[in-house]
Amino acid sequence: MSISAGPEAAASIHPAPPAPDRGDVPVLDVADLTVGFGSAAKRRSIPLQGIHLQVAASERMALVGESGSGKSLTAAAVLGLLPEGAEVIRGSIRLDGEELIGAPERRLRDLRGGRMAIMFQNPRASLNPVLTVGGQIAEVIRVHGDAGRKESWTQAVDLLAEMGIPDAGRRAKDYVHQYSGGMAQRAALAMALSCRPDLLIADEPTTGLDATLQQQVLELVVEQVASRDASLLLITHDIAVARSHCERTTVMYAGRVMESGPTSSVTESPKNPYTAALLKAFGTVDQRRMYAIGGVVPTLVGELSECAFADRCPMVGPECRDGVPALRSVDDRQVACVKA
Amino acid sequence: MPLAIYIGRRLVFLVVALFGVSLITFFVTRVLPGNPAYLIVGVQADESTVEAVIERLGLDEPIINQYGHYMRQLFTGDLGDSWRTKNPVTTDIADRWPATIELATTAAILSICWSVPFGIVSALRRRSLSDRLANVASGLGVSIPEFWLGIILILVFFFHLDFAPAPIGRTLGTVPPEVTGLYTLDSVIAGDWGALRSSLAQLALPAITLAITTGGPLLRVTRGFMRETMASHHIRSARALGVPERSIVLRHALPNVLLPVSTMVALMYGYLLGGTVLVEFVFAWPGIGKYAIDSIAASDYAPVLAAVLLSACSYILVYLVMDILHFIIDPRTRT
Repeated sequence: MSISAGPEAAASIHPAPPAPDRGDVPVLDVADLTVGFGSAAKRRSIPLQGIHLQVAASERMALVGESGSGKSLTAAAVLGLLPEGAEVIRGSIRLDGEELIGAPERRLRDLRGGRMAIMFQNPRASLNPVLTVGGQIAEVIRVHGDAGRKESWTQAVDLLAEMGIPDAGRRAKDYVHQYSGGMAQRAALAMALSCRPDLLIADEPTTGLDATLQQQVLELVVEQVASRDASLLLITHDIAVARSHCERTTVMYAGRVMESGPTSSVTESPKNPYTAALLKAFGTVDQRRMYAIGGVVPTLVGELSECAFADRCPMVGPECRDGVPALRSVDDRQVACVKA
Repeated sequence: MPLAIYIGRRLVFLVVALFGVSLITFFVTRVLPGNPAYLIVGVQADESTVEAVIERLGLDEPIINQYGHYMRQLFTGDLGDSWRTKNPVTTDIADRWPATIELATTAAILSICWSVPFGIVSALRRRSLSDRLANVASGLGVSIPEFWLGIILILVFFFHLDFAPAPIGRTLGTVPPEVTGLYTLDSVIAGDWGALRSSLAQLALPAITLAITTGGPLLRVTRGFMRETMASHHIRSARALGVPERSIVLRHALPNVLLPVSTMVALMYGYLLGGTVLVEFVFAWPGIGKYAIDSIAASDYAPVLAAVLLSACSYILVYLVMDILHFIIDPRTRT
């Protein structure tokens, strides 16, 4: 099945650099990740259910979905920083083949910032208001390496300069309230990339920035990740961002992966009705009325027993309610829909 | 903004605030019922004697003239005379102010020492035993009246256990030679360890009473701000980039928490310096609070005005010090 919907604008994907020789092991391999809130005896909700996600070496993967679909929670689980009260019920998260579920906190701390890093939305809030920007970057460098104070400071200044901060030596001594939103996000990127991680997770990095800055920051993220041969997991609710900056896209809905594959295929000929509806909701310039998906997102108090999108799907049939559709390979992608 | 300009601005504010306080206090004390002339000469005195006293005190003049006269006196450092003690108010205050400073400072130090670390630890270990204990301690500190706690401590440690000395004043031993007016400090300066022991023993129970009651709110505020800071985005970012927990607490969280906590400490210390009337009464502590209350009861205007001005001045000066500290710690105030 192929469902055509959404804008027809041509994708302008950045050419990927040649992949480094890491064998066939994906940089990030998430399998059957299920996360719940509350204890096993008194489970309050299960916001992530059987997530499968793979990011290959030097690949740029977009994780797309509406608010509350579980994108950021997936990132938190990867980093081992689930919010209080949440726990991994089952599944596996591997970074360069190393299992992270159950890994000691000390090991996870070494990996955070060292081999995997994250930049969040709202960069002003992400940087400490009473520490200098340069000092915060230098600390991450010191934590993950042998550099001393002076050397780490020099590296921090160099990184800020590399991210396009003018007069980086002086600005490194400034505090975040003295930075504009765009500059703060550049500094946050410098901090995240300071130890050359294999994987950068960018969680809505352009939210809150104006349109011209959004493009600049995204270009910078992609450019810097590419120059380091790192992989990028770009979390966004904006499918246009995924289309223009990522080679592959994974679409999430209600804590499940609905479709995953090459961005051009997923956005131009979606095979999951939810992906199609999401693209339609995004609209085009000449569209006269906004399209809204009818119904509401299911409450995830227990494990699903049917397709999460069944109640809202225009193509729903009896088979959609006969268990949760598993992700299966269809042509060049994976789709969680019995009708695909 | 340079620190000098910042301090200059605050000092200007101090003068304006003190003027406002003096104005309000002066008019409020003058409109209170009761004529001090009758209290001075007694109700049996004839009208001419009363009139003479009223004239001598200048109470027959229009109130605005009285205020002008008071302000002129104030600028020469004269706070007037107390008809109750027959002393210049400056002399009375010089006798009592060190007692209040000594009690307030000791209580504030004890309060900070138990409540701030307890608040931080309990915030870091949510739902632990220390967190539950902190909840109980802060609740008790907030709700127990200080005079009641003072009486209970006297009952237990003096009356039943005979562990503390009788709660009568600042020392039961020798008074050390006056240098600062603070008995503990003067005892150390004089090398008189017996006097030090005696003054510390007298100081312990009232200081502990105040430390418990003022520490309760401080513990609650510290715990609340620490929890809030530990849940903030910049702490999440630091943790997500592998910054060790020790650095997260001490380097990243603590300076952010100490900013609001220090404001709370300033508020508490300013309150203590203004005189803790009930505790001073319970422990017969000859401080400024007791002096002010005795003066109010006797319609003795000058000491009341002086005590209120002193209290306001303490608050403003403590806040000034705290503002300077914030100026140094918090980069956002410098721009």
